[in-house]
Amino acid sequence: MLKVAIIGCGKIADQHAQQIVHLPGCSIVAVCDREELMAKQLQQRFGIADSFANAQEMMQRTPPDVVHITTPPQTHYAVGKLCLEAGCHIYVEKPFTMNYSEAEELIRLAARKGLKLTVGHNAQFSHAANQMRKLVADGYLGGAPVHMESYYCYDLGDPAYAKALLGDSYHWIRNLPGGLLQNTISHGISKIAEFLQGDAPHVIAHGFTSQMLRSVGETEIVDELRVVIDDGNATAYFTFSTQMRPSLHMLRIYGPKRGLIMDETQQTLIKFRGARYKSYLEQFLPQWSFAKQYAESALGNMKKFVKADFQSEYGMRFLIREFYHSIVENAPVPIPYREIRLTSRIMDEIFAQLSSQKIHKESSTERALVQHS
Amino acid sequence: MPTNYIVNNKDLVLITGSNGFIGSSVVENLLKLGYANLRCFVRPSSNLMKLESILRNYPQARVEILAGNLLSREDCTKAVKETAVIYHLAAGIEKTFPGSYMNSVVTTRNLLEAALGTGRLVRFVNVSSFAVYSNWNIRRGDLLDETCEVESHPMERAEAYAYAKLKQDQLVMDYGKKDGLPYVIVRPGAVYGPGTRSLTARVGIDTFGVFFHLGGGNQIPLTYVENCANAIVLAGIQPGVEGEVFNIVDDDLPSSRTLLRLYKKRGKSFRSIYVPYSIFYLLCWLWERYSKWSQGQLPPTFNRRRCATYWKGNLYSNRKLKDRLGWKPGVSFAEASRRYFEFVKEIA
Repeated sequence: MLKVAIIGCGKIADQHAQQIVHLPGCSIVAVCDREELMAKQLQQRFGIADSFANAQEMMQRTPPDVVHITTPPQTHYAVGKLCLEAGCHIYVEKPFTMNYSEAEELIRLAARKGLKLTVGHNAQFSHAANQMRKLVADGYLGGAPVHMESYYCYDLGDPAYAKALLGDSYHWIRNLPGGLLQNTISHGISKIAEFLQGDAPHVIAHGFTSQMLRSVGETEIVDELRVVIDDGNATAYFTFSTQMRPSLHMLRIYGPKRGLIMDETQQTLIKFRGARYKSYLEQFLPQWSFAKQYAESALGNMKKFVKADFQSEYGMRFLIREFYHSIVENAPVPIPYREIRLTSRIMDEIFAQLSSQKIHKESSTERALVQHS
Repeated sequence: MPTNYIVNNKDLVLITGSNGFIGSSVVENLLKLGYANLRCFVRPSSNLMKLESILRNYPQARVEILAGNLLSREDCTKAVKETAVIYHLAAGIEKTFPGSYMNSVVTTRNLLEAALGTGRLVRFVNVSSFAVYSNWNIRRGDLLDETCEVESHPMERAEAYAYAKLKQDQLVMDYGKKDGLPYVIVRPGAVYGPGTRSLTARVGIDTFGVFFHLGGGNQIPLTYVENCANAIVLAGIQPGVEGEVFNIVDDDLPSSRTLLRLYKKRGKSFRSIYVPYSIFYLLCWLWERYSKWSQGQLPPTFNRRRCATYWKGNLYSNRKLKDRLGWKPGVSFAEASRRYFEFVKEIA
């Protein structure tokens, strides 16, 4: 029986606990939060044996095999290091760490200790994402990916989130170097990283504050991002938006012969053939193929729903199960470390560019003001 | 102002959640009663238009608006400085259990710790909710009052707000026992008035574009916002009620059917389908079973305990409120509903 602990008992910890309790061969033995009350509420609601306000104490008194780290991102590195040094495998919520060097250090430490780690990129393990991975691995694209487009949108319209974020100048998200983006874009970036071949891609990023946020007086939060990525073999566009509708969570991937479109929200995977029909048939026939694929997708989703295999957090459950399996069977981890490194590296580059754009913008404004006066 | 109140009009009164629907009315009520030294605690993101328009009518009062976050102990210390009475209305209305808990229980703990440290506190009014009660062991049509049990299976009810409020009440009571906190707990029923955009869920639910009328002939525990605010204010100043719990409901409580009819006629018209309690209870049972079987594929939003709490149908009393706090509903149902439906019509 795998002994599991959770450090950080906020909202996301609930989702972890809800998935873990349904998995066989494991049990949550302890939870920990610096705020004792938060640790206790999670403990009581899930009937967990112990709760702690100090992670080191938890490691000593109830040594777990695996620790889920669901604390704010600024603490992931320190808590991850503590757990690895205590001999625990770690599942770290996204974003994995604050930057590439921290990610690298944790990966090296895990390797040195003979432990495993993973990151909560659960969106990569939904039914549609798993199906896409399999098709790409089976050569459906007709070769290595040529180009990708990843959309990860975030509806700031959610009043609870927007209120918490905008209303509280001390909110932990505001204290992340990449702000809101740092807490959200890794889902969309990791989807690209999974299919890139190079380890040091060229990145061009452009970010800005949406008109909506500017209209309510917000100027610091960058909530619109466009990125171009080129690793020499494949290119990718990444779009993060709080304003565009529909609010897409989508990956389009094109190979030399065929393409795939995976819609995360609708859980649909659509195949695009590369060849064209002759003459006007191209305008008459492909639509039938798409109609058939959409119909099959709807029926497939319903079938999974009927079989109770369509939980909203299916991806998280799948990832946790695969990670535990990799620990118990000493099998490969579900998310290769190369992918974790690459995601961190791309994110570092994006934030560095956004930061220099901000400095440039501020100094331009200052210059303009000086000239004007 | 009667002389037997536990604080005089110069004592500092803190109101958390003072810019909210009930909070702003509490501020107005205090000012009307002559309390002229108030500290209004608001979230930094709050739109203060409503509160400021109230304050403009009392230029002679000393009112400090303090923006902060009750999750910050530092902000709590600033908020409670010199206060004699605290009306704690700030609530965490969030969908998730941890979110609700953090913004109700952790915040209350921070506030209490800070308040007890001042040594000046004479009353802490904890504004709770009817949602904490359980009518699981009460028959349909029986009285639900302050002596009734609170929910013992909050997780089965799958209602984050009720869970958080329940734990908040427990925390306050614990501080009462442990540290002698002079608390009073008030539990308003369904608060309504201009500003309430939708009908209380005790009448029914609007889902998938259809309004299911579930309340039938049940009495609805309504309280008009001004009446409710007045009861809350009295709970903070009347002597000899420490450690007591008060339910807040008005007189002349309408049935769900009457309220719905009036709402459609005078406020906003829409189509509704009546679902008898027994049928809905059965559906909730099936939903609950499915949720369990499917390992949460559908969350247990509809369940038997929740169904009973909102739609089983009980009777409500304001006897204790009247006897112990000397409260009288200042606005009758006829007048309150007229103001409310006018607002509904306007926004429709």
